[in-house]
Amino acid sequence: MYIIEAGARTQHYWKSLWARRSLLYYLTRKDLIVRYKQTFVGVSWVLIRPFLTMVVFTVIFGAIANLDSNGLPYGFVVFAGVLPWYLFANLFSETSGSLITNGAMLRKVYCPRLIFPAAILLVGLVDFAVSFFLLVVMMFWYHITPSWQIIFFPLFILMAGSTAIGLGLIAATLNVKYRDFQQLVPFLLQMGMYISPVGYLNQLVAKHWEFVYSLNPLAGIINGFRWCLTPDSIPLYTLGLWYSIGFSIAALLIGITVFRLAEDGFADTI
Amino acid sequence: MTFAIKVQNLSKRYIIQHGTPAGSLKELVEHYRRKFFYKLTPKFKDAGPDPYEVTHEEFWALKDVSFEIAKGAKLGVLGRNGAGKSTLLKVLSHITEPTAGRILIDGEISSLLEMGTGFHPELSGRENIFLNGAILGMGRTEILRKFDEIVAFSEIEKFIDTPYKRYSSGMQVRLAFSVAAHLDPDIMILDEVLAVGDVAFQKKCLKKMEAISNSGATIIFVNHGVEAIKQFCNQAIVLDHGRLVLNTTDIDQAIALYLGDS
Repeated sequence: MYIIEAGARTQHYWKSLWARRSLLYYLTRKDLIVRYKQTFVGVSWVLIRPFLTMVVFTVIFGAIANLDSNGLPYGFVVFAGVLPWYLFANLFSETSGSLITNGAMLRKVYCPRLIFPAAILLVGLVDFAVSFFLLVVMMFWYHITPSWQIIFFPLFILMAGSTAIGLGLIAATLNVKYRDFQQLVPFLLQMGMYISPVGYLNQLVAKHWEFVYSLNPLAGIINGFRWCLTPDSIPLYTLGLWYSIGFSIAALLIGITVFRLAEDGFADTI
Repeated sequence: MTFAIKVQNLSKRYIIQHGTPAGSLKELVEHYRRKFFYKLTPKFKDAGPDPYEVTHEEFWALKDVSFEIAKGAKLGVLGRNGAGKSTLLKVLSHITEPTAGRILIDGEISSLLEMGTGFHPELSGRENIFLNGAILGMGRTEILRKFDEIVAFSEIEKFIDTPYKRYSSGMQVRLAFSVAAHLDPDIMILDEVLAVGDVAFQKKCLKKMEAISNSGATIIFVNHGVEAIKQFCNQAIVLDHGRLVLNTTDIDQAIALYLGDS
Protein backbone atom coordinates (compact mmCIF):
# COMPACT_ATOMS: atom_id res chain seq x y z
CA MET A 1 0.00 0.00 0.00
CA TYR A 2 1.37 3.31 -1.07
CA ILE A 3 0.08 6.64 0.24
CA ILE A 4 0.41 10.01 -1.42
CA GLU A 5 -0.50 12.68 1.07
CA ALA A 6 -0.46 16.45 0.91
CA GLY A 7 2.61 17.88 2.58
CA ALA A 8 4.07 14.47 3.37
CA ARG A 9 7.46 13.39 2.18
CA THR A 10 7.74 10.79 -0.52
CA GLN A 11 7.87 7.37 1.06
CA HIS A 12 10.81 5.02 0.60
CA TYR A 13 12.71 7.59 -1.46
CA TRP A 14 16.09 5.89 -1.51
CA LYS A 15 14.54 2.51 -2.02
CA SER A 16 12.63 3.70 -5.05
CA LEU A 17 15.77 5.36 -6.36
CA TRP A 18 17.48 1.99 -6.20
CA ALA A 19 14.48 0.32 -7.82
CA ARG A 20 14.91 2.61 -10.81
CA ARG A 21 18.57 1.76 -11.33
CA SER A 22 17.92 0.52 -14.85
CA LEU A 23 16.68 4.02 -15.70
CA LEU A 24 19.95 5.38 -14.34
CA TYR A 25 21.81 2.91 -16.52
CA TYR A 26 19.95 3.82 -19.71
CA LEU A 27 20.09 7.57 -19.09
CA THR A 28 23.84 7.33 -18.64
CA ARG A 29 24.11 5.10 -21.67
CA LYS A 30 22.09 7.53 -23.76
CA ASP A 31 24.40 10.43 -22.92
CA LEU A 32 27.49 8.37 -23.59
CA ILE A 33 26.21 7.02 -26.91
CA VAL A 34 25.12 10.43 -28.11
CA ARG A 35 28.45 11.93 -27.11
CA TYR A 36 30.87 9.22 -28.11
CA LYS A 37 29.29 7.59 -31.12
CA GLN A 38 27.13 10.05 -32.88
CA THR A 39 28.88 13.38 -32.75
CA PHE A 40 31.36 14.04 -35.49
CA VAL A 41 34.55 14.30 -33.48
CA GLY A 42 33.16 11.99 -30.80
CA VAL A 43 35.51 10.97 -28.05
CA SER A 44 38.19 13.44 -29.07
CA TRP A 45 36.08 16.31 -27.71
CA VAL A 46 36.67 15.09 -24.22
CA LEU A 47 40.40 15.21 -24.92
CA ILE A 48 40.63 18.35 -27.04
CA ARG A 49 39.16 20.72 -24.48
CA PRO A 50 41.50 19.97 -21.56
CA PHE A 51 44.42 19.53 -23.94
CA LEU A 52 44.06 22.94 -25.57
CA THR A 53 43.45 24.58 -22.20
CA MET A 54 46.68 22.97 -21.02
CA VAL A 55 48.60 24.26 -24.05
CA VAL A 56 47.32 27.82 -23.66
CA PHE A 57 47.92 27.93 -19.90
CA THR A 58 51.39 26.45 -20.27
CA VAL A 59 52.32 29.14 -22.77
CA ILE A 60 50.83 31.98 -20.71
CA PHE A 61 51.84 30.97 -17.19
CA GLY A 62 54.88 28.85 -17.95
CA ALA A 63 56.57 30.44 -20.93
CA ILE A 64 55.45 34.07 -20.76
CA ALA A 65 54.91 34.71 -17.04
CA ASN A 66 57.64 32.18 -16.27
CA LEU A 67 56.06 30.96 -13.03
CA ASP A 68 57.75 28.41 -10.83
CA SER A 69 56.70 24.76 -11.22
CA ASN A 70 58.74 23.14 -8.40
CA GLY A 71 61.02 21.49 -10.94
CA LEU A 72 58.22 19.70 -12.77
CA PRO A 73 57.48 20.15 -16.48
CA TYR A 74 55.05 23.05 -16.64
CA GLY A 75 52.70 21.27 -19.05
CA PHE A 76 52.29 18.43 -16.58
CA VAL A 77 51.61 20.80 -13.69
CA VAL A 78 48.89 22.50 -15.69
CA PHE A 79 47.32 19.30 -16.97
CA ALA A 80 47.18 17.82 -13.47
CA GLY A 81 45.20 20.95 -12.53
CA VAL A 82 43.04 21.09 -15.64
CA LEU A 83 41.71 17.54 -15.17
CA PRO A 84 40.16 17.95 -11.71
CA TRP A 85 38.96 21.41 -12.71
CA TYR A 86 37.08 20.09 -15.72
CA LEU A 87 35.72 17.20 -13.70
CA PHE A 88 34.30 19.74 -11.25
CA ALA A 89 33.20 22.30 -13.84
CA ASN A 90 31.42 19.81 -16.12
CA LEU A 91 29.60 18.12 -13.25
CA PHE A 92 28.60 21.43 -11.71
CA SER A 93 27.28 23.06 -14.86
CA GLU A 94 25.50 19.93 -16.14
CA THR A 95 23.88 19.28 -12.77
CA SER A 96 22.71 22.86 -12.47
CA GLY A 97 20.97 22.58 -15.85
CA SER A 98 19.75 19.02 -15.43
CA LEU A 99 16.17 19.85 -14.44
CA ILE A 100 15.68 22.27 -17.32
CA THR A 101 17.14 19.78 -19.79
CA ASN A 102 14.85 17.05 -18.54
CA GLY A 103 11.89 19.39 -18.10
CA ALA A 104 9.65 17.52 -20.51
CA MET A 105 10.24 14.29 -18.67
CA LEU A 106 9.76 15.93 -15.31
CA ARG A 107 6.26 16.95 -16.26
CA LYS A 108 5.22 13.62 -17.72
CA VAL A 109 6.80 10.83 -15.73
CA TYR A 110 7.51 10.23 -12.08
CA CYS A 111 10.87 9.07 -10.90
CA PRO A 112 13.04 10.16 -7.97
CA ARG A 113 14.54 13.24 -9.58
CA LEU A 114 17.96 12.65 -8.07
CA ILE A 115 18.36 10.15 -10.87
CA PHE A 116 19.23 12.92 -13.34
CA PRO A 117 22.22 14.26 -11.38
CA ALA A 118 23.25 10.67 -10.67
CA ALA A 119 23.42 9.95 -14.41
CA ILE A 120 25.44 13.13 -14.90
CA LEU A 121 27.91 11.97 -12.26
CA LEU A 122 28.44 8.66 -14.05
CA VAL A 123 28.90 10.31 -17.44
CA GLY A 124 31.32 12.82 -15.90
CA LEU A 125 33.39 10.03 -14.38
CA VAL A 126 33.64 8.28 -17.75
CA ASP A 127 34.74 11.54 -19.39
CA PHE A 128 37.27 11.98 -16.63
CA ALA A 129 38.65 8.48 -17.12
CA VAL A 130 39.13 9.15 -20.83
CA SER A 131 41.03 12.38 -20.28
CA PHE A 132 42.97 10.79 -17.44
CA PHE A 133 44.41 8.44 -20.02
CA LEU A 134 46.11 11.44 -21.61
CA LEU A 135 47.66 12.34 -18.27
CA VAL A 136 49.05 8.83 -17.94
CA VAL A 137 50.60 9.16 -21.40
CA MET A 138 52.09 12.46 -20.30
CA MET A 139 53.59 10.93 -17.18
CA PHE A 140 55.26 8.25 -19.26
CA TRP A 141 56.59 10.89 -21.60
CA TYR A 142 58.15 12.90 -18.76
CA HIS A 143 59.21 9.78 -16.82
CA ILE A 144 57.16 10.69 -13.77
CA THR A 145 56.57 7.65 -11.58
CA PRO A 146 53.92 7.87 -8.87
CA SER A 147 54.64 6.65 -5.35
CA TRP A 148 52.38 5.00 -2.79
CA GLN A 149 50.50 8.29 -2.27
CA ILE A 150 48.61 7.47 -5.44
CA ILE A 151 46.19 5.45 -3.29
CA PHE A 152 44.61 8.75 -2.17
CA PHE A 153 43.73 9.60 -5.74
CA PRO A 154 40.13 8.28 -5.59
CA LEU A 155 39.55 10.42 -2.49
CA PHE A 156 40.18 13.60 -4.47
CA ILE A 157 37.99 12.46 -7.35
CA LEU A 158 35.27 11.84 -4.80
CA MET A 159 35.76 15.29 -3.28
CA ALA A 160 35.63 17.06 -6.64
CA GLY A 161 32.52 15.05 -7.54
CA SER A 162 30.62 15.66 -4.33
CA THR A 163 31.46 19.39 -4.26
CA ALA A 164 30.28 19.75 -7.85
CA ILE A 165 27.10 17.71 -7.41
CA GLY A 166 26.26 19.39 -4.10
CA LEU A 167 26.62 22.92 -5.43
CA GLY A 168 25.00 21.82 -8.69
CA LEU A 169 21.90 20.55 -6.88
CA ILE A 170 21.47 23.90 -5.13
CA ALA A 171 21.90 25.73 -8.44
CA ALA A 172 19.50 23.33 -10.20
CA THR A 173 16.83 23.94 -7.57
CA LEU A 174 17.20 27.71 -7.91
CA ASN A 175 17.33 27.40 -11.68
CA VAL A 176 13.84 25.93 -11.75
CA LYS A 177 12.46 29.15 -10.35
CA TYR A 178 15.00 31.76 -11.39
CA ARG A 179 16.48 31.09 -14.78
CA ASP A 180 19.17 33.70 -14.12
CA PHE A 181 21.32 30.97 -12.66
CA GLN A 182 21.71 29.56 -16.12
CA GLN A 183 23.62 32.70 -17.01
CA LEU A 184 25.44 32.88 -13.72
CA VAL A 185 26.94 29.41 -13.67
CA PRO A 186 29.16 29.69 -16.81
CA PHE A 187 30.36 33.06 -15.56
CA LEU A 188 31.23 31.69 -12.11
CA LEU A 189 33.11 28.82 -13.70
CA GLN A 190 35.06 31.14 -15.93
CA MET A 191 36.17 33.18 -12.93
CA GLY A 192 36.76 30.05 -10.89
CA MET A 193 39.27 28.72 -13.36
CA TYR A 194 41.56 31.66 -12.62
CA ILE A 195 41.11 31.89 -8.87
CA SER A 196 41.72 28.14 -8.55
CA PRO A 197 45.25 26.84 -8.94
CA VAL A 198 44.64 25.43 -12.43
CA GLY A 199 47.32 27.24 -14.43
CA TYR A 200 49.73 27.72 -11.54
CA LEU A 201 50.76 26.08 -8.29
CA ASN A 202 48.96 27.20 -5.14
CA GLN A 203 52.40 27.29 -3.47
CA LEU A 204 52.95 30.56 -5.34
CA VAL A 205 50.28 32.32 -3.31
CA ALA A 206 51.82 34.69 -0.76
CA LYS A 207 51.79 33.51 2.86
CA HIS A 208 49.47 36.19 4.20
CA TRP A 209 46.91 35.35 1.51
CA GLU A 210 47.03 31.65 2.17
CA PHE A 211 44.06 31.51 4.49
CA VAL A 212 41.82 33.48 2.14
CA TYR A 213 43.01 31.40 -0.77
CA SER A 214 42.19 28.14 0.99
CA LEU A 215 38.54 29.21 1.22
CA ASN A 216 38.17 28.14 -2.39
CA PRO A 217 37.36 24.43 -1.97
CA LEU A 218 38.96 23.67 -5.33
CA ALA A 219 42.37 24.81 -4.06
CA GLY A 220 42.68 21.89 -1.68
CA ILE A 221 41.31 19.42 -4.23
CA ILE A 222 43.55 20.45 -7.12
CA ASN A 223 46.60 20.54 -4.88
CA GLY A 224 45.65 17.08 -3.67
CA PHE A 225 45.58 15.77 -7.24
CA ARG A 226 49.08 17.03 -7.89
CA TRP A 227 50.35 15.80 -4.55
CA CYS A 228 49.04 12.25 -5.20
CA LEU A 229 50.87 12.05 -8.49
CA THR A 230 54.13 13.76 -7.49
CA PRO A 231 54.45 13.83 -3.68
CA ASP A 232 58.19 14.58 -3.86
CA SER A 233 57.77 17.86 -5.71
CA ILE A 234 54.38 19.10 -4.52
CA PRO A 235 53.87 19.48 -0.75
CA LEU A 236 50.45 18.75 0.70
CA TYR A 237 48.34 21.86 1.26
CA THR A 238 47.10 20.80 4.68
CA LEU A 239 44.99 23.85 5.50
CA GLY A 240 43.18 23.71 2.15
CA LEU A 241 42.83 19.93 2.32
CA TRP A 242 40.88 19.79 5.59
CA TYR A 243 38.71 22.66 4.53
CA SER A 244 37.97 21.00 1.19
CA ILE A 245 37.07 17.70 2.82
CA GLY A 246 34.61 19.48 5.11
CA PHE A 247 33.25 21.58 2.30
CA SER A 248 32.67 18.68 -0.06
CA ILE A 249 30.72 16.71 2.54
CA ALA A 250 28.67 19.72 3.62
CA ALA A 251 27.96 20.76 0.02
CA LEU A 252 26.63 17.33 -0.87
CA LEU A 253 24.43 17.04 2.22
CA ILE A 254 23.02 20.55 1.88
CA GLY A 255 22.56 20.09 -1.87
CA ILE A 256 20.56 16.89 -1.43
CA THR A 257 18.46 18.42 1.35
CA VAL A 258 17.61 21.55 -0.64
CA PHE A 259 16.86 19.52 -3.74
CA ARG A 260 14.58 17.13 -1.91
CA LEU A 261 12.68 19.89 -0.14
CA ALA A 262 11.84 21.49 -3.48
CA GLU A 263 11.52 18.31 -5.48
CA ASP A 264 7.78 17.77 -5.18
CA GLY A 265 7.14 21.22 -6.60
CA PHE A 266 9.45 20.95 -9.61
CA ALA A 267 6.76 19.79 -12.01
CA ASP A 268 4.58 22.78 -11.11
CA THR A 269 7.20 25.53 -11.22
CA ILE A 270 9.45 24.52 -14.07
CA MET B 1 -14.45 -5.70 -2.95
CA THR B 2 -10.96 -4.34 -2.46
CA PHE B 3 -9.86 -1.10 -3.99
CA ALA B 4 -6.94 -0.31 -6.24
CA ILE B 5 -7.05 3.41 -5.64
CA LYS B 6 -8.86 5.37 -2.98
CA VAL B 7 -8.92 9.13 -3.34
CA GLN B 8 -9.89 11.06 -0.22
CA ASN B 9 -10.78 14.77 -0.28
CA LEU B 10 -8.16 15.50 -2.87
CA SER B 11 -7.49 19.13 -3.71
CA LYS B 12 -4.89 20.79 -5.83
CA ARG B 13 -4.34 24.51 -5.80
CA TYR B 14 -2.28 26.44 -8.28
CA ILE B 15 -1.15 29.95 -7.56
CA ILE B 16 -1.37 32.14 -10.59
CA GLN B 17 1.09 34.94 -10.26
CA HIS B 18 0.47 38.21 -12.03
CA GLY B 19 3.35 40.59 -12.42
CA THR B 20 6.34 38.33 -12.70
CA PRO B 21 5.90 36.76 -16.10
CA ALA B 22 9.47 35.56 -16.38
CA GLY B 23 10.04 34.99 -12.69
CA SER B 24 13.53 36.38 -12.97
CA LEU B 25 15.80 37.66 -10.25
CA LYS B 26 15.66 41.17 -11.62
CA GLU B 27 11.93 41.38 -11.12
CA LEU B 28 12.20 39.91 -7.67
CA VAL B 29 14.78 42.49 -6.64
CA GLU B 30 12.82 45.31 -8.26
CA HIS B 31 9.67 44.20 -6.49
CA TYR B 32 11.23 44.38 -3.05
CA ARG B 33 13.01 47.63 -3.85
CA ARG B 34 9.70 49.26 -4.70
CA LYS B 35 8.00 47.80 -1.68
CA PHE B 36 10.76 49.23 0.49
CA PHE B 37 10.58 52.74 -0.98
CA TYR B 38 6.84 52.64 -0.94
CA LYS B 39 6.97 52.44 2.85
CA LEU B 40 9.60 55.15 3.21
CA THR B 41 8.18 57.79 0.95
CA PRO B 42 4.42 58.28 0.86
CA LYS B 43 4.86 60.34 -2.26
CA PHE B 44 6.10 57.31 -4.08
CA LYS B 45 2.46 56.39 -4.49
CA ASP B 46 1.98 59.18 -6.97
CA ALA B 47 4.64 57.75 -9.23
CA GLY B 48 1.97 55.67 -10.86
CA PRO B 49 1.11 52.00 -10.79
CA ASP B 50 3.88 49.59 -9.99
CA PRO B 51 4.69 47.54 -13.08
CA TYR B 52 6.47 45.00 -10.94
CA GLU B 53 3.64 44.56 -8.49
CA VAL B 54 2.99 40.94 -7.75
CA THR B 55 -0.53 39.75 -7.16
CA HIS B 56 -1.57 36.22 -6.54
CA GLU B 57 -4.68 34.48 -7.63
CA GLU B 58 -5.72 31.09 -6.42
CA PHE B 59 -6.94 28.49 -8.79
CA TRP B 60 -8.32 25.21 -7.57
CA ALA B 61 -7.70 22.66 -10.30
CA LEU B 62 -9.18 20.00 -8.02
CA LYS B 63 -11.44 20.65 -5.08
CA ASP B 64 -12.39 18.04 -2.54
CA VAL B 65 -12.53 15.09 -4.88
CA SER B 66 -13.19 11.66 -3.38
CA PHE B 67 -13.78 8.39 -5.16
CA GLU B 68 -12.72 4.80 -5.15
CA ILE B 69 -11.69 2.46 -7.92
CA ALA B 70 -12.11 -1.24 -7.41
CA LYS B 71 -9.41 -3.66 -8.48
CA GLY B 72 -9.83 -4.53 -12.14
CA ALA B 73 -12.23 -1.66 -12.85
CA LYS B 74 -11.91 0.51 -15.93
CA LEU B 75 -12.56 4.08 -15.01
CA GLY B 76 -13.28 6.72 -17.60
CA VAL B 77 -12.70 10.34 -16.61
CA LEU B 78 -14.95 12.85 -18.36
CA GLY B 79 -14.96 16.61 -18.24
CA ARG B 80 -14.47 19.68 -20.35
CA ASN B 81 -11.16 21.39 -20.91
CA GLY B 82 -9.96 22.76 -17.61
CA ALA B 83 -12.20 20.52 -15.55
CA GLY B 84 -9.19 19.02 -13.79
CA LYS B 85 -8.75 15.74 -15.65
CA SER B 86 -5.08 16.15 -16.41
CA THR B 87 -4.35 17.47 -12.95
CA LEU B 88 -6.06 14.45 -11.45
CA LEU B 89 -3.93 12.11 -13.53
CA LYS B 90 -0.77 14.03 -12.64
CA VAL B 91 -1.50 13.82 -8.95
CA LEU B 92 -2.32 10.12 -9.21
CA SER B 93 0.91 9.56 -11.14
CA HIS B 94 2.88 11.24 -8.37
CA ILE B 95 4.20 13.87 -10.76
CA THR B 96 2.77 16.74 -8.78
CA GLU B 97 1.95 17.00 -5.12
CA PRO B 98 -1.63 17.46 -3.87
CA THR B 99 -2.44 20.54 -1.81
CA ALA B 100 -4.80 18.65 0.47
CA GLY B 101 -6.20 15.19 0.88
CA ARG B 102 -4.62 11.85 0.23
CA ILE B 103 -4.50 8.93 -2.12
CA LEU B 104 -4.15 5.29 -1.16
CA ILE B 105 -2.73 3.11 -3.87
CA ASP B 106 -2.62 -0.66 -3.78
CA GLY B 107 -0.39 -1.91 -6.55
CA GLU B 108 2.13 -0.68 -9.02
CA ILE B 109 1.14 2.28 -11.16
CA SER B 110 2.29 3.03 -14.67
CA SER B 111 1.17 6.22 -16.24
CA LEU B 112 1.21 7.28 -19.84
CA LEU B 113 0.52 10.97 -19.97
CA GLU B 114 2.30 11.40 -23.23
CA MET B 115 3.62 9.00 -25.79
CA GLY B 116 7.32 8.76 -26.37
CA THR B 117 8.51 10.71 -23.35
CA GLY B 118 12.27 10.73 -23.37
CA PHE B 119 12.76 9.31 -26.84
CA HIS B 120 16.05 10.58 -28.19
CA PRO B 121 16.23 11.43 -31.90
CA GLU B 122 19.87 10.42 -32.31
CA LEU B 123 19.47 6.96 -30.83
CA SER B 124 18.34 3.92 -32.80
CA GLY B 125 14.91 2.42 -32.36
CA ARG B 126 16.50 -0.38 -30.37
CA GLU B 127 18.24 1.95 -27.92
CA ASN B 128 15.07 3.99 -27.59
CA ILE B 129 13.02 0.96 -26.66
CA PHE B 130 15.36 0.32 -23.75
CA LEU B 131 15.51 3.96 -22.72
CA ASN B 132 11.77 4.55 -22.92
CA GLY B 133 11.02 1.23 -21.24
CA ALA B 134 13.25 2.25 -18.35
CA ILE B 135 11.60 5.67 -18.18
CA LEU B 136 8.19 4.02 -17.95
CA GLY B 137 9.41 1.86 -15.11
CA MET B 138 10.48 -1.42 -16.65
CA GLY B 139 13.62 -3.13 -15.47
CA ARG B 140 16.38 -4.22 -17.78
CA THR B 141 15.52 -7.90 -17.75
CA GLU B 142 11.87 -7.16 -18.29
CA ILE B 143 12.63 -5.12 -21.40
CA LEU B 144 14.97 -7.80 -22.71
CA ARG B 145 12.26 -10.39 -22.25
CA LYS B 146 9.65 -8.34 -24.10
CA PHE B 147 11.93 -6.83 -26.69
CA ASP B 148 10.99 -9.04 -29.66
CA GLU B 149 7.32 -8.70 -28.90
CA ILE B 150 7.58 -4.91 -28.77
CA VAL B 151 9.40 -4.75 -32.08
CA ALA B 152 6.92 -7.10 -33.75
CA PHE B 153 3.95 -5.14 -32.46
CA SER B 154 5.32 -1.85 -33.77
CA GLU B 155 5.87 -3.33 -37.27
CA ILE B 156 9.22 -1.64 -37.73
CA GLU B 157 11.53 -4.65 -37.58
CA LYS B 158 13.46 -3.51 -40.62
CA PHE B 159 14.33 -0.13 -39.18
CA ILE B 160 15.09 -1.09 -35.62
CA ASP B 161 18.71 0.02 -35.89
CA THR B 162 17.94 3.22 -37.76
CA PRO B 163 18.13 6.48 -35.79
CA TYR B 164 14.75 7.47 -34.42
CA LYS B 165 14.90 10.87 -36.14
CA ARG B 166 14.75 9.13 -39.54
CA TYR B 167 11.42 7.50 -38.68
CA SER B 168 8.20 8.84 -40.14
CA SER B 169 5.88 10.31 -37.54
CA GLY B 170 3.64 7.25 -37.91
CA MET B 171 6.53 4.95 -37.14
CA GLN B 172 7.49 7.07 -34.16
CA VAL B 173 4.09 6.83 -32.50
CA ARG B 174 3.83 3.14 -33.29
CA LEU B 175 7.11 2.45 -31.58
CA ALA B 176 6.12 4.63 -28.64
CA PHE B 177 2.79 2.88 -28.21
CA SER B 178 4.36 -0.55 -28.52
CA VAL B 179 6.71 0.09 -25.64
CA ALA B 180 3.89 1.50 -23.54
CA ALA B 181 1.53 -1.34 -24.40
CA HIS B 182 3.96 -3.90 -23.07
CA LEU B 183 4.04 -2.57 -19.57
CA ASP B 184 2.09 -4.79 -17.29
CA PRO B 185 1.35 -2.79 -14.20
CA ASP B 186 -1.45 -3.40 -11.70
CA ILE B 187 -2.82 0.05 -12.41
CA MET B 188 -2.50 1.90 -15.67
CA ILE B 189 -3.19 5.58 -16.23
CA LEU B 190 -3.80 6.66 -19.81
CA ASP B 191 -4.22 10.19 -21.10
CA GLU B 192 -5.60 10.44 -24.61
CA VAL B 193 -3.14 8.03 -26.02
CA LEU B 194 -5.31 6.15 -28.42
CA ALA B 195 -5.15 8.73 -31.15
CA VAL B 196 -2.14 7.18 -32.79
CA GLY B 197 -1.39 5.72 -36.19
CA ASP B 198 -3.78 4.75 -38.93
CA VAL B 199 -7.14 3.11 -38.42
CA ALA B 200 -5.74 -0.39 -38.55
CA PHE B 201 -3.13 0.40 -35.92
CA GLN B 202 -5.71 2.11 -33.72
CA LYS B 203 -7.80 -1.04 -33.77
CA LYS B 204 -4.76 -3.03 -32.82
CA CYS B 205 -4.13 -0.65 -29.94
CA LEU B 206 -7.66 -0.94 -28.66
CA LYS B 207 -7.41 -4.71 -28.81
CA LYS B 208 -4.17 -4.63 -26.91
CA MET B 209 -5.73 -2.43 -24.27
CA GLU B 210 -8.61 -4.83 -23.90
CA ALA B 211 -6.15 -7.65 -23.47
CA ILE B 212 -4.36 -5.68 -20.76
CA SER B 213 -7.57 -4.94 -18.96
CA ASN B 214 -8.77 -8.52 -19.25
CA SER B 215 -5.59 -9.58 -17.50
CA GLY B 216 -7.06 -7.94 -14.40
CA ALA B 217 -5.30 -4.59 -14.46
CA THR B 218 -7.08 -1.51 -13.22
CA ILE B 219 -7.26 1.23 -15.83
CA ILE B 220 -7.88 4.94 -15.57
CA PHE B 221 -8.62 6.47 -18.89
CA VAL B 222 -9.07 10.03 -20.12
CA ASN B 223 -10.39 10.57 -23.57
CA HIS B 224 -12.44 13.12 -25.38
CA GLY B 225 -13.75 10.45 -27.67
CA VAL B 226 -16.94 9.37 -25.93
CA GLU B 227 -17.12 6.19 -28.03
CA ALA B 228 -13.88 4.77 -26.65
CA ILE B 229 -15.10 5.32 -23.10
CA LYS B 230 -18.45 3.74 -23.83
CA GLN B 231 -16.80 0.73 -25.35
CA PHE B 232 -14.12 0.31 -22.80
CA CYS B 233 -15.09 1.52 -19.33
CA ASN B 234 -17.35 0.15 -16.65
CA GLN B 235 -17.15 3.11 -14.31
CA ALA B 236 -17.07 6.82 -15.05
CA ILE B 237 -16.55 10.05 -13.17
CA VAL B 238 -17.43 13.50 -14.44
CA LEU B 239 -15.41 16.51 -13.34
CA ASP B 240 -16.48 20.10 -13.62
CA HIS B 241 -14.33 23.02 -12.50
CA GLY B 242 -12.28 20.78 -10.29
CA ARG B 243 -15.26 19.20 -8.54
CA LEU B 244 -16.54 15.69 -8.86
CA VAL B 245 -20.11 15.94 -10.09
CA LEU B 246 -20.86 12.31 -10.85
CA ASN B 247 -19.43 8.92 -10.03
CA THR B 248 -21.36 6.08 -11.58
CA THR B 249 -21.22 2.69 -13.20
CA ASP B 250 -23.86 3.82 -15.69
CA ILE B 251 -21.64 5.01 -18.51
CA ASP B 252 -24.52 6.33 -20.61
CA GLN B 253 -25.67 8.57 -17.78
CA ALA B 254 -22.16 9.99 -17.36
CA ILE B 255 -21.82 10.61 -21.07
CA ALA B 256 -25.22 12.29 -21.21
CA LEU B 257 -24.21 14.60 -18.38
CA TYR B 258 -20.88 15.36 -19.99
CA LEU B 259 -22.44 16.08 -23.40
CA GLY B 260 -25.22 18.14 -21.87
CA ASP B 261 -22.57 20.10 -20.02
CA SER B 262 -20.65 21.02 -23.10
